[in-house]
Amino acid sequence: MSTPASTGAVYDRGYRPYDGPRGGRRAATAALYRTSLRRAIGLRRPWRQKVAPAALLAIAVIPAVVNVGVGYLTRDTPAEGFQFITYREYLGVSSALLLFVALVAPELLCPDRRQRVLPLIFARPLTGRDYALAKIGAIFTCVFAFSYLPQVVLYVGQMLVSDGALDYLTDNTAVLWQVPVAAALLALFYAVLGVAVASLTGRRMVAGATLLGITLVSSTVAGILVGAAGEGPVDDGDPAALLNILALPLQVRDLVFLGHIHEDSALSGLSGGGGMALACYTAVVLTCIAVVLSRYRSVEQ
Amino acid sequence: MASIVRARGLTKRYPGVTALDAVDLDLPAGRVGLVGANGAGKTTLFRLLLGLSRPDAGTVDVCGIPVADDPIGVRSLIGYMPEHDCLPLDQTAADVVATFGELGGLPVRAARQRASEVLDLVGLDEARFRPVGGFSTGMRQRTKLAQAIVADPKLVLLDEPTAGLDPSGREEMLALVDRLGSFGIAVILATHLLDDVARVCDHVVMLDGGRLVTDSPTQTLLHQTGTVTVDVGPAAAQALAAALTARGLAVTTDDTITLEVTVSGDEDLDTIRDVVADLELPLHRLTNRLTSLDDVFVHQAPTP
Repeated sequence: MSTPASTGAVYDRGYRPYDGPRGGRRAATAALYRTSLRRAIGLRRPWRQKVAPAALLAIAVIPAVVNVGVGYLTRDTPAEGFQFITYREYLGVSSALLLFVALVAPELLCPDRRQRVLPLIFARPLTGRDYALAKIGAIFTCVFAFSYLPQVVLYVGQMLVSDGALDYLTDNTAVLWQVPVAAALLALFYAVLGVAVASLTGRRMVAGATLLGITLVSSTVAGILVGAAGEGPVDDGDPAALLNILALPLQVRDLVFLGHIHEDSALSGLSGGGGMALACYTAVVLTCIAVVLSRYRSVEQ
Repeated sequence: MASIVRARGLTKRYPGVTALDAVDLDLPAGRVGLVGANGAGKTTLFRLLLGLSRPDAGTVDVCGIPVADDPIGVRSLIGYMPEHDCLPLDQTAADVVATFGELGGLPVRAARQRASEVLDLVGLDEARFRPVGGFSTGMRQRTKLAQAIVADPKLVLLDEPTAGLDPSGREEMLALVDRLGSFGIAVILATHLLDDVARVCDHVVMLDGGRLVTDSPTQTLLHQTGTVTVDVGPAAAQALAAALTARGLAVTTDDTITLEVTVSGDEDLDTIRDVVADLELPLHRLTNRLTSLDDVFVHQAPTP
């Protein structure tokens, strides 16, 4: 027999203790990573927050799709001068990646400091190191995915357009490790640089502008110094090119793909240029990590 | 009863100031009021309990776990509601509370489920999908309380939970704090509002200038003062005062409604009863006046 509708009642459901599974520090770090990743790609966020990741995805993938499309359409009548973009070259879309990091890294870190959320976060079972790891991990994941995905499109597309897919696969096994390693090194560089700069301020605009400013100033200074040296008799590589922070991950990328600095680089011809680029890359990454850890070693209340 | 917090010689110094000075505490599970003026050491004590700051001397255990040995383990048992604004303003209340549930170690689905339940409990069920930035002060305080209890802590630290609330909001917040004790969650309520503590706390800790003033059950502090309050209505108050004075009792009044009569035993109480009866007055109230926590604090806090 059903209860008459007129006898409805409001119940205080009270409080139910939780006796299910409970994670510790690792689970808390993973939760912060997931939350940060969602925020970075705009999930559960207003549409404005989805523009940057969607735009970056489009900028990263569309050239690969167009390249593969042209290759497919002209497979029987090869177009004059048409060549597939190389995997090494494609990992050079770093300007768009840098812009993305300049938008997303401040978005992930600055509100926590400005809105004083940090004391709440650090009252949970995690440490400053866990916080830094989660934030760096979230940006790393985005940049890696946006770097790696078009490479997959390019690889699969070229494999399908080629005369023999299996032959293409066996002829290009090296890129199967080169691409993920180079993409990971690129993503790590941008992630730690972005998080380090964003950890220094609570203002998103300041953090984003500072990141872009650092890269712009370093590339300009390096360009001037290299240009000035190029006017003299010496036309070997110039170590001043190492001052260009933006170029460091690309030089490391060249080491991964080629085993040496590319001929077009300002470092080309410099004895030990590859090792110096790798050392500078490592120094920048370690410095950024040190800055981040020092910023979150103690919590300001 | 086992102590939920046990401290021995707890000392914390900052440059130029001793925030806590050799404090010994044995706080029972229940609702404990942590009382003190600004700078008394309340927030410093909370930071030490959370393991966010290391003591310069002494030890502190929470739920039997030494904080110095396992701060992460201690934090997984504690919920914390800071005094200041601390919520991500562009997220919905449901997202905020669920996120802090996950950070407290709950699985994703359980965190969302419990976020819904505790937001319902604090009266934000219909507002849970609205951004916190659009909330009133009272709603933000409730959201802060919800995130503090979402992971079902053993102990919750509430730092000035009624700060900035209007009278009705304050009443509702105190009612929620009062209920936490019945949920099996131990509460430490830091405040400078002694009335809040007198109303909802079973135990009181008073700090002043980093030193412990009192660590006692609330009832032992609110002892009888040898004074009774008599209320016979405003019209008859003066007549009763004159009659009681004529019978040799000391009568004072700080308003026109109630009288405070000093009594030394049952005979004086009988006298009050007889005088009221003789004058045929309506006796609205005859109660022992208790010491207020303000009295305790004023009398026991060291003079600067």
